Amino acid sequence: AMRSRAEVDATLQTAKLNPAELLPVVHCLSFGTQAGTGDCCLLQLEPGLCAELEAGRSLVIRGEKDEQAVLCSKDKTYDMKIADTSNMLLFIPGCKTPEELNADQASCDIIHSQIAGFSNNYWELRRCRPKLKKLRRLLMEDPYEGPDSRQDQTSTFSKYTTEDLLSLIQASEEEILHQLQVIDACKIEGYWRILEFDYEMKLLNHVTQLIDSESWSLNKVPLRTCLEELGSLEPREMIEHILLSYGRKYIDDGEVYFEMHEDKICRAIAQMLLQNAVKFNLSEFQEVWQQSVPEGMTARLDQLKGLALVDKTSRPETIFLLKVEDLPEDNQERFNSLFSIREKWTEVDITPYIQDLCAEKQTVGALLTKYARSSTQNGVKVYNSRRPIS
Amino acid sequence: LVRSEGAGGLAQWVLVELQGEVEPRQSGGLAGSLLGDLHYTREGVPVLIVGHHILYGKVVQLEKPFAVLVKRGAGEPGPAGPHTHYTVTALIKTKLLFKTRPKPIITNVPKKV
Repeated sequence: AMRSRAEVDATLQTAKLNPAELLPVVHCLSFGTQAGTGDCCLLQLEPGLCAELEAGRSLVIRGEKDEQAVLCSKDKTYDMKIADTSNMLLFIPGCKTPEELNADQASCDIIHSQIAGFSNNYWELRRCRPKLKKLRRLLMEDPYEGPDSRQDQTSTFSKYTTEDLLSLIQASEEEILHQLQVIDACKIEGYWRILEFDYEMKLLNHVTQLIDSESWSLNKVPLRTCLEELGSLEPREMIEHILLSYGRKYIDDGEVYFEMHEDKICRAIAQMLLQNAVKFNLSEFQEVWQQSVPEGMTARLDQLKGLALVDKTSRPETIFLLKVEDLPEDNQERFNSLFSIREKWTEVDITPYIQDLCAEKQTVGALLTKYARSSTQNGVKVYNSRRPIS
Repeated sequence: LVRSEGAGGLAQWVLVELQGEVEPRQSGGLAGSLLGDLHYTREGVPVLIVGHHILYGKVVQLEKPFAVLVKRGAGEPGPAGPHTHYTVTALIKTKLLFKTRPKPIITNVPKKV
């Protein structure tokens, strides 16, 4: 039986509390039938998430069995952690605050509130970098080698739609879609694909040769003519895709043109050259590289940040391929990996290989302070590992 | 695991934070049993009478609100395996924090009504 107002008043009298000092409404709290089942839990919301929920948007928890769960809003990713409290937290629907009671002119003097659940812990959120390395790994399982490749027809590898990626990648939808653009993925027959590098270079080569033979300006490459001239060699979607990947699309006088990215093209050609050997004589490489890039483009070493590393200590100086996307995603593992490749790094050399580790407001300097030890060598500040690397 | 919010506005609940643990008086567990009476003074101070104790607390507006998640049954299997659904049932922006030591009520004979 539910408590009556009379019983409440009796308790007040026993407690020697003066009803005149209290608001007239009492909440009689009892435990609801589902209270002990543990199906209810608390999630502490970071700024912005509360507003998102009130606006009707969803939040998603993502993570497979071997992964630490993350929470994703439409455009952000958060690590989830359980926080314990020494206190007991009871969550109560329909319980009013003093302000609400004073504002409410209702005449009731008793409210029976059922406690929906209780807990001594809650989920805490911390904004984190989206875990996107897996995205590239999944798409590299079956790179697209072109329409002539027989592999596509007989392939039994998984191909991934947008929905597949959303359920497998620990990142928000916007972060995933943005990353697909960054890695120049394209949709072929509904599946997201990455181009196999040799095929990508083949496509790029068609375009650069055409630009050369037509004597077009690198800033004004017409889409229509490219499709006409190259359409017999490659699928039109692939021609357009390579132009989008290596150029900036714009419209002039109703026609679509591309302003080609000199840096990106030179960089791709460097990769093509460097992947054929462990390392190269630096000056020989620079000579071959400059000869290989399209007419009118200048090959510069600063185009190779995060792709290749120059060894200035060897005689002669050498250069070798080192792609940041091949390195571990975890901060400590990344630094371990870098220090096992080279014992001491200057800030200029290491920055392209740790830039992507920076959290929202974190700087490269902060990362270096945390994960490396600095010293001075020949008047230059260098960084090495904090711990011995085996 | 997918969590989505129910249609319509989200209910606002209140959190009550107590020191120590809540234990059932009866052996039958907590479900259905009374916790106590919650009053407010005219100044807005929450007063909770639990058993033979009086607790005084304060109303706190939470800097980081809570969402209350309720686990629903397993949903359809997807490429990552079966999904568990959580639904956001309510938001909590206010808590009643009872941190003061409980004042025991010294009783003689409870007044019968």
